[in-house]
Amino acid sequence: MTTGIELRDLRKLYDGHGATAWAVDGVNMRIGQGQFVTLLGPSGCGKTTTLRMIAGFETPTSGQILRDGIDITDQPVSDRDMRMVFQDFALFPNMTVAENVAFGLRTRRMKGRFSDAEIRRKVAEHLDLVHLGSHAGKRPHQLSGGQKQRVSLARALVTDPDVVLFDEPLGSLDAHLRKVMQIELIRLHRELNKTFIYVTHDQDEAMAMSDAIAVMNVGKVMQFGTPREIYDRPASRYVASFIGHAHIVDAVVAESRSDGLMVRLGNGEVVSLAQPAKVASGQSVGLMLRAEDLSLARPGEGELHGQVADSLYRGEYIEYVVELTGNAGLVHVHEPTDLPPFAHGAPVALKVNAQKAHVVEA
Amino acid sequence: MAQAALSLPSQTGGARPAVRSARRIERRRMLLWLVPPIAWFTVFMLVPYALLFYYSLGQAEDMVFTPGLSLRNFARVFTDEPYLGVILKSARIGLMTSVLSAIMAYPLAFCLAFHVRSASLKFVLYLLVIVPWWASYLVKAYAWKTILGTGGILNATLQGLGLTHEPVRLFLYNEFSVVLTLTYIFTPFAVLSIYAQLERVPTSLIEAARNLGASAWEIVFRIVLPISVPGVIAGGIITFSLAFGDFVAPVLVGGPDSLMISNIVINLLGVAFDWPMAAAIGLVIIALGLALISLSGWLEEKTQVRL
Repeated sequence: MTTGIELRDLRKLYDGHGATAWAVDGVNMRIGQGQFVTLLGPSGCGKTTTLRMIAGFETPTSGQILRDGIDITDQPVSDRDMRMVFQDFALFPNMTVAENVAFGLRTRRMKGRFSDAEIRRKVAEHLDLVHLGSHAGKRPHQLSGGQKQRVSLARALVTDPDVVLFDEPLGSLDAHLRKVMQIELIRLHRELNKTFIYVTHDQDEAMAMSDAIAVMNVGKVMQFGTPREIYDRPASRYVASFIGHAHIVDAVVAESRSDGLMVRLGNGEVVSLAQPAKVASGQSVGLMLRAEDLSLARPGEGELHGQVADSLYRGEYIEYVVELTGNAGLVHVHEPTDLPPFAHGAPVALKVNAQKAHVVEA
Repeated sequence: MAQAALSLPSQTGGARPAVRSARRIERRRMLLWLVPPIAWFTVFMLVPYALLFYYSLGQAEDMVFTPGLSLRNFARVFTDEPYLGVILKSARIGLMTSVLSAIMAYPLAFCLAFHVRSASLKFVLYLLVIVPWWASYLVKAYAWKTILGTGGILNATLQGLGLTHEPVRLFLYNEFSVVLTLTYIFTPFAVLSIYAQLERVPTSLIEAARNLGASAWEIVFRIVLPISVPGVIAGGIITFSLAFGDFVAPVLVGGPDSLMISNIVINLLGVAFDWPMAAAIGLVIIALGLALISLSGWLEEKTQVRL
């Protein structure tokens, strides 16, 4: 028996306007107790539907959801003891902040489990946990978006569930508040040791917070791994381009060895990679080059050559867009701002970090 | 207005008078726009009310109206039989109708708002609520006669089942049948007003409550019902007002003692030719109506939950 949540070949058929499509198409996943797992993908990729099936709001068309080895696929929502934090906060407008937080402790199924004094203590404790101790008597409409989300969080945590589900909880907050709340969520996860299952389309959010990320597209999990695995070793072109703005250049494997490989670009230039891959010589691949894995040099001092097509001053760094010679492709390079700048149209060489460059399917 | 504004930049020295004249033109045009609503209001509201007031101050002697400046008719509304008693009875019938309508309407509105997912089914159900209004009021009232009467469907069924041996006369020609008919006829108003309020409740609130372990009853009584109170009040006011002023149901399905205030007014106008008394009763009812609407407006505001 395993602890945690397991999804077995989960599928959900949706029919809208006569046409049917798989919103979720065979998702398999194992989420260990205490993990912070993010379902990441563009809108319509099935991430929210998957989360809603875990919560019990949607019934899977087929497949199973197991919790600690027990099938909960058909268990009613109210019996699942998983708390959800909604994108629109879903605070009860007819109740105060404290009443909202106390709601889950005062339901009939909880009757007798907590005394009024205990409920008051727990509510106060959890409002303090989200730094809202002084807002207990306010109504939801008197709070800012960030405060509402904190109430929603306190309401979810107060009943001490093992699993907390998040449906794009920071989606309606502004960029700054999102960053603050991200740090807050990481802190809560570390302190509380609960399973967090988190849905977002924001890859930075996913990278920063998760123990593991499931990158989803058209109802399928494209890759499930740690943020580092997904970032450094994307399993497919889709994952590579969705995470961290990788630029992919068409190439052919020149030599595949056990300790690395050589790939040849369209313009004949060759790049060596320190990581071996399961590819054969002569096979077409995509060479993934991220901005931070490249650096500019004077012509002749790097493996690749091209010319500066654009440069963008970003404050923290200068972003150069480099057109590889022979129309082999476009790559982006981040250079420190204190180095002498390269002019528009200047011929440049590119040094490739052999440890980080990676090949994906063609 | 546009031309005046356009000429502004060229007139460097005389910009201020130009602005002023432009404003004057604008104001004149605004007045022009106000003429139709003011005229409408005057012809259809102010003049009738003034006439009503004028008549209420006069007297009817030997069925002939003589103008006057007496408030005697207003005093009679509260002192002479049967006026005040009938107003109170009408209010009681109105209240029962509005309460029963709300009770009938709430589950339907709830179902429509939360349980019907398909948009087309929602539309059909919505239409079914409104459709009875395409049929004449009289037909619907008569329908209840054929249901409740001694030879009606209800009695036939009861006798057929052997529950009663002779027709029960209790069903028709009394306050019960009046309230029943009015409830049937005015319930759609309650449905629409409650539904409009329930539609505002985000589905996520209900999902959040389920997620927090609440039972269906807890969701209804702790979340949906408190949020929907203003809709219930609004619907209640509409059904109360309509039922209070009704005069068809008492005549068709009511008994000899179930005349309502509108019937009294009709009799004063058409039979007794006591227009001043009828006008006084009308004004008292209008005043009561205004008070009621203000009260309910305040209550709606009080109970409205900001989402």
